[in-house]
Amino acid sequence: MNPSSAESAKRGISFIVNGEAKKVLAHPMERLLDVLRNNLGLTGAKEGCGEGECGSCAVLLDDMLVNSCLIPIAQANGASVVTIEGMSAHSLMKPLQESFFECGSCAVLLDDMLVNSCLIPIAQANGASVVTIEGMSAHSLMKPLQESFLECGGAQCGICTPGMILAAVHLLEKRPDPTLADIREGLAGNLCRCTGYMQIFAAVAKAARRRVAQ
Amino acid sequence: MHGAGFTGSGERYLNSLVGAEADEDGTVRVLVSSAEFGQGTNTVLCQIAAEALGLPYESVSIAQPDTTVVPNSGPTVASRTAMIVGKLVQSAAKGIKETLTKTGLLHDDYSPQQFRAGCKEYIATHGALKSYARYKVPPDVFWDDEKYRGEAYAAFAWAVYVAEVTVDLTTYSVTVDDFVALQEVGRVLHPVLAEGQITGGVAQAIGFALYENVVWQDGRMMNNQMTNYIMPASMDLPPIRVFFEENGNVHGAHGAKGIGELPMDGPAPAIVNAVEDATGVRFCSIPLLPEDLFGALRPEFNEQAVPSSVRGIA
Repeated sequence: MNPSSAESAKRGISFIVNGEAKKVLAHPMERLLDVLRNNLGLTGAKEGCGEGECGSCAVLLDDMLVNSCLIPIAQANGASVVTIEGMSAHSLMKPLQESFFECGSCAVLLDDMLVNSCLIPIAQANGASVVTIEGMSAHSLMKPLQESFLECGGAQCGICTPGMILAAVHLLEKRPDPTLADIREGLAGNLCRCTGYMQIFAAVAKAARRRVAQ
Repeated sequence: MHGAGFTGSGERYLNSLVGAEADEDGTVRVLVSSAEFGQGTNTVLCQIAAEALGLPYESVSIAQPDTTVVPNSGPTVASRTAMIVGKLVQSAAKGIKETLTKTGLLHDDYSPQQFRAGCKEYIATHGALKSYARYKVPPDVFWDDEKYRGEAYAAFAWAVYVAEVTVDLTTYSVTVDDFVALQEVGRVLHPVLAEGQITGGVAQAIGFALYENVVWQDGRMMNNQMTNYIMPASMDLPPIRVFFEENGNVHGAHGAKGIGELPMDGPAPAIVNAVEDATGVRFCSIPLLPEDLFGALRPEFNEQAVPSSVRGIA
């Protein structure tokens, strides 16, 4: 196919992307994935396997979950497409981001929810309140937590510590008098390689008792 | 059992040197190249110097391990820091006291104020008040490099680990329900830090025993993400109950032995033995994954059960 016939084969495609009407000029067999990424700059959908196996390029096409690497753009004509970029206002986003905790080192409070900031597109923070460890110094729980972490050996190398402190604050605000099971669950998204967690559990329990005593 | 310090003649070749320097305000700075990375080295080495000098802990600090300032006290490895470097810190600190005593500026029974006055006067008269201690092989320890015989380590730390496990016969996963760690590490210099070394090591070792499978392919680690390289998180561990028996060790600082590596040695064998006790099947490799248990306990499904290409990549 020479370039001019490739150009002439292109068609106008109109569709709704993340709630906005879009019009692109594309070959009908071009992949939805490529149009999203190259024409519209939406790089959240990624090419993993390119053959519909892995789900890295998943989008919602008229509310159906599809792999955009398998969708010729002609099929999207007139349809509504939602990509990960369009999900930031969705009510499920924050609960999902909370449950996708892996290591927890980058934890922050986003509108009082504990999230991993590595998973938050900045657009989602637009208009929100973000609290990082630096913003915690005046919090009434900080002194009891710092003293208890020190006394119980709750910090060793320090990589997990800011995230652990934020997770502990988040837990103790919901449960001022937590059981050991509450503490284990409250810190479940924060990995620690040094302490074996036992001294962190002890520190959080002690901070809770200390605050009650205050 | 874990040997503390470098193996064989290693410590003799390292020939570590440690320093201590007193200021005219009566504070003492420990000079070592050991690195603090959360294990508590700075705290423990300052404690050792303070105890050797009969000073409060607050009077002792430690220099940043920058080799323009500190001597080469060897690497921070091999469960050697508290025992070997610590012993040299103890000797270097005692050297300061001896210097002051010999020059008549300090008597045997002194207060921190008298120590400060002694330091001030010494420095005004003689200049810097420093003391160094170099490693000496203990007289009763000899390793023959030619014949590979002798005492491989100046001290051994000992431990007993007890694991209680549940083997789920639906998922073939193993859960550690309770864990007791009893160890003899000489004198425990700092109970909270020592316990942290043990709980941390045991938690890593539980991961080593049951979860942490490194999958190599063509020289690359194939499961190099936290989603597919599984390490224990807060919900995955049993209570880790730590106990110490304290027997002094003549070669270590104030009777201490090495502690850091010890808790990585025993827990995995204890867990695998507990699984053997529960199932009657002997396992000789770790990590002991559900696939391994399934393969051993349900041999009729072997081979076709799990394609070898996906084993271990959850």
